[in-house]
Amino acid sequence: MPADETASLSRTAAANAQRVTLQFEDEVEKQIEVRDDEFVLDAALRQGVPLVYQCRSGSCSTCVGRMVSGSIEMVRDRALSLLVAEIAEGKRLLCSSHALATSVVRLQYPSSLIYGEERRSFEARLTGVEWPVPSVAKLAIAVDRRAHISFNAGQYVRIKVPGTEEWRSYSMCSTPRELPRMEFLVRIIPGGVMSEYLRQARPGERLQVEGPLGAFILHPGKGLHVFVAGGTGLAPILAMIDEIRRASGPKPKLLLSFGCASDANFFYRDEIELRQWWIPQLEVRLSADRVEDSNSGLLQGTPVDAIGAEPITDLNASAYLCGPPPMIEAARRRLAELGMSPERIYAERFVAS
Amino acid sequence: MSDGQKGVGAISASRQYAPYLEADWGFKNTWYPALFSSELGENGVKGVTIAGHDIVLRRSHGKAYALRDRCAHRGVKLSLRPMCLTDDTLSCWYHGFTYALEDGVLRTIVASPNDPLIGKTRIRTYPVTERAGIIFIFVGDQGYDPLPQLDADLPIRVNDDDNPVPHILDNQVYVRGIHRTGNSNWRLAAENGFDPGHLLIHWDNQIVAATDRKLALGVEPVSEEAIKIIDEPDGPKGIMNMYNTRTYKFIMENKAVNMRARGKNSYYARTSMVLPGILLVEHWPIPGWAQYEWYVPTDDKHHEYWEILVGHCRTDDERREADYLYDSFLEPLALRDFNDNDLFAREAMQNFYEREDGWNNESLCAFDAATITWRKVAARYNRGIQEPPDSISRQ
Repeated sequence: MPADETASLSRTAAANAQRVTLQFEDEVEKQIEVRDDEFVLDAALRQGVPLVYQCRSGSCSTCVGRMVSGSIEMVRDRALSLLVAEIAEGKRLLCSSHALATSVVRLQYPSSLIYGEERRSFEARLTGVEWPVPSVAKLAIAVDRRAHISFNAGQYVRIKVPGTEEWRSYSMCSTPRELPRMEFLVRIIPGGVMSEYLRQARPGERLQVEGPLGAFILHPGKGLHVFVAGGTGLAPILAMIDEIRRASGPKPKLLLSFGCASDANFFYRDEIELRQWWIPQLEVRLSADRVEDSNSGLLQGTPVDAIGAEPITDLNASAYLCGPPPMIEAARRRLAELGMSPERIYAERFVAS
Repeated sequence: MSDGQKGVGAISASRQYAPYLEADWGFKNTWYPALFSSELGENGVKGVTIAGHDIVLRRSHGKAYALRDRCAHRGVKLSLRPMCLTDDTLSCWYHGFTYALEDGVLRTIVASPNDPLIGKTRIRTYPVTERAGIIFIFVGDQGYDPLPQLDADLPIRVNDDDNPVPHILDNQVYVRGIHRTGNSNWRLAAENGFDPGHLLIHWDNQIVAATDRKLALGVEPVSEEAIKIIDEPDGPKGIMNMYNTRTYKFIMENKAVNMRARGKNSYYARTSMVLPGILLVEHWPIPGWAQYEWYVPTDDKHHEYWEILVGHCRTDDERREADYLYDSFLEPLALRDFNDNDLFAREAMQNFYEREDGWNNESLCAFDAATITWRKVAARYNRGIQEPPDSISRQ
């Protein structure tokens, strides 16, 4: 952008703009001017302050921030993925929000996640598709070594479905340590483009990938870590648990509550049991909404039910939720009732497509 | 015959102890022996490498200190040319970067006494404890908290025996031994240490002949009680081979090859292995004594093999007798001749495991249950997997 144009823009901005302070989790602060006619995310990007985002249309929830003070309001002309409870907590989707006053917004990821880490495209090779159950596929790819990709456990990438112009988002269930190998859990949907592709996919086929994306990452802390996962929402949670297993220092206590729709479709029990053995600090609750085989050993109900009713007294406890939106909302409510600070509950929504 | 399927079966089995297989460079956040106390005299400086960590030790006013053996300036090892200019520092021989023994902070630079780096730069230090004539270093993450007690990283204290062997930290014990380099990954060494099936390599050893020992050709586990898990709260974790005729069948003869165990004298002995890879053999080489072994990872292809004998010893007379026994019998026949065969076997395995992914291509048999149990226990109870040195630098 030519220098004179920048100057004129900021003059205009000064006339009818609000100052917004963005606070990252690592205490880094950035100040931006948000004009009345633009969204907070656009203003940040225009002023060279990259933020985590994906859809720019209010549906993916990636760009969420929490208003600490001031006034930031979301537009009403689009379907927004925030829950009423989240809006009440001050959560805002920055891609769809205007600043109405000088405001402070907290972001639940560190600035280091994005600064110096540009989003990029890379090529990968499909190395295998496994079927833990008919409704879930494990997709394994190998990234080209030259791509120099890295990511944080919990993040996701977009994959272009070969033979189509469609992109789908999947969280890695593998950790960065396994690179150049990356693995994903794909929920199979009849007629879904990725589902159809995976049925006839062959090892060696090239895939276009974009990422890493998302701010669903582990946050430092020695307190109890509660993980709640529904269905293939297990993927980023497994990556996080494996990351904790390999991290330095004593391990925190971990509680994983994982549920599937039915005991017949329950998958990855063996993988979870292995981690239970490897990590003495890990407690596991396995559940299914419908349990037909009474010998399955699964709790009947949702993974939120399986959290139980015992108050969470650990003030440093945090929670990581991944699954369909209703599960996330229910888990948030339950964990808050049990005493967990909403500040320390992190979530990633999975919407089947 | 089954060559084609072997790989597949072994891979699914090895998945169960995947963290153990990740530990090429050993386990971290654990106490390892570094040197005998006698190897580090007053003002002595020595370098060791443990699990990829280059560490320099110095003794000053009787106390042993351990620092990272790498000058912050140009990365040379301080131990290459020891230079002690004051009682409480260690200097680099190259440009004189001088570090405090206590906290590793740069005190001065001989060639640049007003340098702004002074007081700001440091090299890391390692916790040290010295017991039973051995200097132990806690190797792993900086600031690991709380620091485990040394006896959590030592063999168990035996209490289910009428005449228990002594523990290395007991008062009134005789402790002597040797350490030497083994050219194999530490896990191959550890697994050889308690391998219930490897008696064949010892069947013609000098100590067996000298004591007319009735040494079985092998053992076969015949009860689920053959292998006991050691899981003491805040204490050692590992496995024990419960050698007795109820749990193990002793193979005294193999007609297919016309071999029969020799010897008349039966001795009771028992082996156990605890994290991070320490063997205890009770009542070996002779009743009442215990042999301890460490297989301290140096890098992913070498280990430092520690062989220590521990005996009861109350008086100066007993100490003199123990010295005589050790020098003329126990070291040459047990620690040298007998264990030379073990070292040979470990080094012989290295090629396959290093170059042909032996971990996923081995064909284990009945008596290897103890090995698999050890791998699973190690996968669960370790305090962390040591990364290769390029990541130590980043810590």
